[in-house]
Amino acid sequence: MANVAKKVSWSGRDRDDDEDGRAGETTPLLNGTGPGAAGGARQLTPSSFLRIGQLSNVDLNEDIHELQTELPRQRPNEIPHNEKLLSLKYESLDYDNSENQLFLEEERRINHAAFRTVEIKRWVICAMIGILTGLVACFIDIVVENLAGLKYRVVKDNIDKFTAKGGLSFSLLLWATLNASVVMVGSVIVAFIEPVAAGSGIPQIKCYLNGVKIPHVVRLKTLVIKVCGVILSVVGGLAVGKEGPMIHSGAVIAAGISQGRSTSLKRDFKIFEYFRRDTEKRDFVSAGAAAGVSAAFGAPVGGVLFSLEEGASFWNQFLTWRIFFASMISTFTLNSVLSVYHGNAWDLSSPGLINFGRFDSEKMGYTIQEIPIFIFMGVVGGILGALFNALNYWLTMFRIRYIHRPCLQVVEAMLVAAVTATVGFVMIYCSRDCQPIQGSSVAYPLQLFCADGEYNSMATAFFNTPEKSVVNLFHDPPGSYNPMTLGMFTLMYFFLACWTYGLTVSAGVFIPSLLIGAAWGRLFGISLSYLTKGSIWADPGKYALMGAAAQLGGIVRMTLSLTVIMMEATGNVTYGFPIMLVLMTAKIVGDYFVEGLYDMHIQLQSVPFLHWEAPVTSHSLTAREVMSTPVTCLRRIERVGTVVDILSDTSSNHNGFPVVESNPDTTQVAGLRGLILRSQLIVLLKHKVFVERANLSLVQRRLKLKDFRDAYPRFPPIQSIHVSQDERECMIDLSEFMNPSPYTVPQEASLPRVFKLFRALGLRHLVVVDNRNEVVGMVTRKDLARYRLGKEGLEELSLAQT
Amino acid sequence: MAPPQSFSGVLLLVLALAVLDPAAAAAEEPRWAPALEAAEGLAEELWGAGLPGDLPELEPECRSLLAAFAEGCAALTGCLGRRARPVRLCQGCHGLYRRLLTLYGSIARAVGNSSESHNCAKSILTSDRLQIVVTLSEFFNETWEAANCANCLKNNSEGLSNSTEEFLDLFNKSLTCFEHNLQGQTVYLSPNNYTEVCKNCNETYTKLNDLYNNLQRMNRQSDESGHSAHLCIDVEDAMNITRKLWSRTFNCSLPCSDTVPVIAVSSFILFLPIVFYLSSFLHSKQKKRILILPKRIQSNASLVNIQEKYS
Repeated sequence: MANVAKKVSWSGRDRDDDEDGRAGETTPLLNGTGPGAAGGARQLTPSSFLRIGQLSNVDLNEDIHELQTELPRQRPNEIPHNEKLLSLKYESLDYDNSENQLFLEEERRINHAAFRTVEIKRWVICAMIGILTGLVACFIDIVVENLAGLKYRVVKDNIDKFTAKGGLSFSLLLWATLNASVVMVGSVIVAFIEPVAAGSGIPQIKCYLNGVKIPHVVRLKTLVIKVCGVILSVVGGLAVGKEGPMIHSGAVIAAGISQGRSTSLKRDFKIFEYFRRDTEKRDFVSAGAAAGVSAAFGAPVGGVLFSLEEGASFWNQFLTWRIFFASMISTFTLNSVLSVYHGNAWDLSSPGLINFGRFDSEKMGYTIQEIPIFIFMGVVGGILGALFNALNYWLTMFRIRYIHRPCLQVVEAMLVAAVTATVGFVMIYCSRDCQPIQGSSVAYPLQLFCADGEYNSMATAFFNTPEKSVVNLFHDPPGSYNPMTLGMFTLMYFFLACWTYGLTVSAGVFIPSLLIGAAWGRLFGISLSYLTKGSIWADPGKYALMGAAAQLGGIVRMTLSLTVIMMEATGNVTYGFPIMLVLMTAKIVGDYFVEGLYDMHIQLQSVPFLHWEAPVTSHSLTAREVMSTPVTCLRRIERVGTVVDILSDTSSNHNGFPVVESNPDTTQVAGLRGLILRSQLIVLLKHKVFVERANLSLVQRRLKLKDFRDAYPRFPPIQSIHVSQDERECMIDLSEFMNPSPYTVPQEASLPRVFKLFRALGLRHLVVVDNRNEVVGMVTRKDLARYRLGKEGLEELSLAQT
Repeated sequence: MAPPQSFSGVLLLVLALAVLDPAAAAAEEPRWAPALEAAEGLAEELWGAGLPGDLPELEPECRSLLAAFAEGCAALTGCLGRRARPVRLCQGCHGLYRRLLTLYGSIARAVGNSSESHNCAKSILTSDRLQIVVTLSEFFNETWEAANCANCLKNNSEGLSNSTEEFLDLFNKSLTCFEHNLQGQTVYLSPNNYTEVCKNCNETYTKLNDLYNNLQRMNRQSDESGHSAHLCIDVEDAMNITRKLWSRTFNCSLPCSDTVPVIAVSSFILFLPIVFYLSSFLHSKQKKRILILPKRIQSNASLVNIQEKYS
């Protein structure tokens, strides 16, 4: 019957009707077209769907291609991309430690002192992560500063020249071409070499820390492309920042160092071999992400809290302390290197890539009367953030559907760069807002049509890197900008930033959000000051800061970590309270409309992301309905040929196989004995650990845990392992290698219960058993992630190939 | 005292201002003399009569030091005040400032040298809460720093540096030029009637402007620490006045505005994305996702159905 099950494939489409009343889901469920052969386990004796050792049953839904086979009328239906999909591309990480015999042996062998060394190594790695992240941040900062400076000088000289003589359209062309060509390079390397380096990288790191393996996300190549890409896109004048990508860079650095080798460079330094598994790597990646935040904003505590808020579902205090250590080291490194670069060695006063400057003058204080005003700004920030996200949602959807070819993506990025330059130029050209140069600290004062000795105030906002513009908006004395300038700038920059996010360039959204917020916040402050006839407390800089917080909060919807990051970046603890209020309001208001930008992009990428909790209305669903079934099982002593067939079956790319009691009589009931992973099987096959060879004492040595670690993280595909015809007849004994105590749940367990277990322990496979300990089904990440609370109650996402 | 050319500069400028705004200049004139007199009178009093009142603990040497310092302060204050507008602080008062520095130094430095002067430093500088001498000297130092005067003085701060001299020369020249070209015209001119000035003085003005920009660039290069490096206030102010005269009063810098080509080019560029998105919407093949059907437990009916079908 099991073979039949495969042949049958999916023939259940005509039974949609049966499904409608089933589990209270509102959308037409995919189950309706589910595998007919699988159904009704209640009626089946376990043996009937547990044909052990045959290429028959399918356990995971991790990769199910069977539907392409056989029956022509079963052609898979194609749909346009939408947000209610889960991609098969993404797999889980193996956080659960496989406590097999080898592991126990190793633990026995390693004495107490050795564990001490492991602990010390962890600290050393964290220090190295901090130092390297800081250095990368320095590199980005210095290169961006110099290249952008060069670009702005060239354009400024050109504009100055043509202002006198006429022919400013050439300056415009020059600016647009410079931008477009720089962005083209940045976009080409991302689109053609490493697409995963696009965007800010925060969604990807969030997914990684959630337990999703995003292909290529922590590779050295990604780091290189990310760093070059972000430099080029900032220099190219796009409305982007370099802070978000720092977090991704930190994570890659952490993943690389903790492994003590680079698979891309084919170099193995033979160190830190103990850490070559997903659990350890994840801890270091969270440290790296924290170090990245800390380097970007000079906010070590904010970094730790970012890791806590965004990623770590798995947390302990020693880890926190180590992460904090890495963050501190990172900001200290950045600080000291930049101080040397700027000529005042060991001054240590520039802790982050962006420094908001000091807010400690008297005017910057706030009183209780201002709290309602701040809350109102939070509301505005929430609404604007929601608008930003909604616009970006449509744009991203369009991009996924229509602009999926790399060359189109490059062209789009170039167009955005050219338009950004053009908008900036036109705004500057039309602006008649002139400010005296004396006593201001404008880096590239652009005179244009202003009188000699004055500069165009619009140009300080557009003709500068976004970081500098933000700081100018915070700190320029009142009266540096007129309201018209700020209003136009906010409007234009809002659309530019929204348009830019999601392009195939590596770039962050933090700085543009801050900039938009700072602009309207300052505008708000100025109008307040008009209304109150210039009271002293209406300092526009303070409102610019609150506006920036509100806008950023409205877009990314981070709370705790963002409050602390803003607090640390301003260096002012008393602002903690208003910033917190602003962020809370922005989040509440924003969440009323749409979700945060990062979550939205995760969803659009069809990543099976597990949130903190199962959907609230899902208690009626039980494990039986959630799980995938039938399951491909292996016997404890299995024929090599069977194993090879199962592994090389392209239609079922499963990763974990329950091991059941080997019974020569396959019709007998077989209980669950353990769980073995694809990677382990491949290593076993590679080393030819067969029973017959052991009997003939052909095997020189016993397999150790090290052999498994050496293959991590890129296990060879099954095709690369040659198994001869004779060897196929050999037997393989899995009992030593399998995890003898996999987590299981009974069929009656409710979805939230399963979810909690799965999420809290970071599982990859959760076996569903009946009361005789027989395997009934398997719950994996995609089974759980597909239930989501939508607008009309519980929804179910479909699986799709992407 | 101030070098002669700066005096002539002041006079010239006053002249220029008088041409432009006679009322303001006239109002300024009478304020000068009494202030000068008062300062001088004060100094005399200090010198002649010594300090009034009984200060038994103050040694005569200290007393004279203090008197000298007080006199120096008065003189410097007078100088600074008089040269506040148009700003000529650095040129006019650097001698006085240096002298005051020396005086303060001789009060403060004497600590530990001999018993008397030890007393001097102690009794003058630190024996009361107010410490007025320290406050005064700090005030002058800060003012000097803020004015950035060191920037236009020679390294040993004796006299103006060469570049500053050159700049002031050129500045005077351009003022003279303005003045000459405005002669024979009425005081109240219609705003667009300065073409003569613009034409004739363009060369000097451009030179002056270039020189200023050069100075600024050099200054920025020599001081790498930050962008806050200013030129000294005298130079900045002189340039500022000239620029204002040039572009605001005379309206000489009329940049060509070529709006039409700019609009054409920008609308072309802004048009491109629309074309791009439209064409990719129309011509690009929409990416389709292939739905995968998961394996789930079906209802009993479906199972029976399958079993019947394939058994």
